[in-house]
Amino acid sequence: MSTVFTIWKKEMRVYAVNPTAYAFLAVFLFLSGLFFFLGITLTGEASLRVLASNLAIVELFILPMLTMRHFAEERRQGTLEMLLTSPISPFALVLGKWLASVTLCGLMFLGTAILPAILAYYGDPDWGVVASTYLGLLLAAAAFCAAGLFSSSLLDDQLAAGLLGIVFLLPFWLVSRAEALVGDELAERVRPFGVLNHLDSFGRGIVDSADVYYFAALAFCFLFLTYRALESRRWR
Amino acid sequence: MAVSQRKRRFAAGSNAFLMSAVMIAVACVGYLLVDLHRIRYDLSADQGSVLLADTRTKLALLDRDGEPVVVTAFSGQRGKKETYFKDRALQDLIDELDFASQVVEVHFVDLDKDRLTAEKLGVTDYSTVVVQRGQARVDIKDRELFRRVGTGNDRRLDFLGEQAVARAFAQLTADNHRIVYTLVGHGELDPQKSDLGGLSEVAAVLQQDDYELKKLDFVRQTDFPVPRVPDDAAAVAVLRPRVPIPPLEEDLLLAYLAGGGSLLIAVDPDSPVPGILGRLGVAIPSGRVLDKMLVFPYPDRPVPRYKGHVITRDLAEDNLVTVVSSAAPVQPSVPPMEGIRSSIVLETSREGWIDRGGEVRSGQGVYEPDIDGAGPVSMAVALEVSSDSGLVSRGNARVLVSGDSEVFTNGLLAEGPGNASFVLNSFRWLVRDDDRISVVGKPAAVRRLAISVEDIEQIRWLALGMGPILVLLLGAGVWAARRGR
Repeated sequence: MSTVFTIWKKEMRVYAVNPTAYAFLAVFLFLSGLFFFLGITLTGEASLRVLASNLAIVELFILPMLTMRHFAEERRQGTLEMLLTSPISPFALVLGKWLASVTLCGLMFLGTAILPAILAYYGDPDWGVVASTYLGLLLAAAAFCAAGLFSSSLLDDQLAAGLLGIVFLLPFWLVSRAEALVGDELAERVRPFGVLNHLDSFGRGIVDSADVYYFAALAFCFLFLTYRALESRRWR
Repeated sequence: MAVSQRKRRFAAGSNAFLMSAVMIAVACVGYLLVDLHRIRYDLSADQGSVLLADTRTKLALLDRDGEPVVVTAFSGQRGKKETYFKDRALQDLIDELDFASQVVEVHFVDLDKDRLTAEKLGVTDYSTVVVQRGQARVDIKDRELFRRVGTGNDRRLDFLGEQAVARAFAQLTADNHRIVYTLVGHGELDPQKSDLGGLSEVAAVLQQDDYELKKLDFVRQTDFPVPRVPDDAAAVAVLRPRVPIPPLEEDLLLAYLAGGGSLLIAVDPDSPVPGILGRLGVAIPSGRVLDKMLVFPYPDRPVPRYKGHVITRDLAEDNLVTVVSSAAPVQPSVPPMEGIRSSIVLETSREGWIDRGGEVRSGQGVYEPDIDGAGPVSMAVALEVSSDSGLVSRGNARVLVSGDSEVFTNGLLAEGPGNASFVLNSFRWLVRDDDRISVVGKPAAVRRLAISVEDIEQIRWLALGMGPILVLLLGAGVWAARRGR
């Protein structure tokens, strides 16, 4: 566990001094503010629901870009071989990097705290719904970070890894809108795989075990694949 | 050497691939299992995001019957201010219905785009819900789904869709139209009056279960050569007669009970006591019920306790209080009369008493052992009368005696969180719809922001500018500090 913490600390330090992380954070906060502003001016509601559905799509594009450097950069600098031959297990490496990404996402959401504060000043938001909305967004972010890590473990080029991460996640977004693409019957079958379908309940204040499991399983699968991808370097 | 290395790679690669595939398969199977046994927590303030217990009960009945029900919700008019809220409320509702039932099939249709479905169902109005079961169909219009309340800044739109759809389910359930007759002609509560003392809103609540309130006037009855309770009566309510009911009319009520009928008798401390209660072994002692635990700020409204009867079972489980007004004590005979099983429905705490006047402190009555009756005091009693009593010749009769009539009026219907449920459940029990007994809810309201045009500018700056600028400044600071090293 201490190795996981060491990796986490190192990654957090890299984030803290990396101007790209600040740029992404600023873009994320701007887009959050934009969707929040549009949401409340269009609906007049003391709710983050419009923000939540749009922010999930923003996460889908931003988080693979934020996590793209994790393994691709290590590989480019030649430090990945060193890490893999060190006493640090691939599992601890993957977990430490993933936890650091999730922590950064948590900080990003903390940066949006001004938005519910605005709701509280001008209205009477339902704090239970606000809390569950943030929980849903954080769970989605955790899954998206895992996908980003997986793509980063596959390619040497950072940008290509980021784009591949988006490609991995796009189907999970598109099946949420499957009705428009395929027939109702097929849409009904693939809907459980859609990210937005699972976020919707959180936006209403409902924490459903199936939704929590969905994001946890998505994160687990991508983390497992990342672990396998790193381990494959030992026998490839 | 190269062959063995290739073999080794193939073995390791196959192993990795298989392991990954198995893991993903396990995760998918896990999802299916979790999906089958979902656990849901509603974190919203009023638990308004999940279906009301009453709707769930009706869905369970539909599931039990197994006949498919199709709910088609049509979108609101585009460009209208409230369309977003209306569409979202309807979508949320049908999503929850879809989740909660095996037999309910739901569709949300954009009326402007999917004209074919609209024409097929003959729907031309926006925000309409069509509920179909076999050949039967109920259309729910916009005005039944949404209600505008308040004025000025307090003006808001309430969503009544869930109650309306639940009502449609009840209407579509075969043979569920029940008529409850309310006796009139002796100054009783009027089912058509919409004032606080009327029953118009109670009638609307009863309509949720397709129960209809009709007047029963023995004196002006022209349908039969001899006055009697009509054959289609599912129950008869005698709600606070102002003058004594003539013995002849009481005999007519007893004759109705003898055939296995159901009777609701509600009295107040000052109203005359129908003689029929004596025949049923129920006494209404003089005085009014008081308790140390009162509904603030009223000096005469004791907080009733539920005594485990089916009418109040769900109310007790959900800890929902029913507010009663100045109530008369209702005492079943001890020991009970042969063939009559009595159960207390509402009761005071042990600190309650029957107040018969005397000292008053700070506007509230005080218990005086010499003149008052000791608690706990029952305020509502349910009776099941069998043929052993000699009063019933066919089946079992049900009687609910309430020491408070106001609890059945418009005035108290929304006063306590449990009042609407208590009233509806009382009638459900009387008409023997025991499996429908549940808790009814209140309409869902949207939480609005009170923002002016000036506020919009302020919010725009706070939401769009402040966060990103602060982060960029911080990033620039870190970058500059590192560059200076």
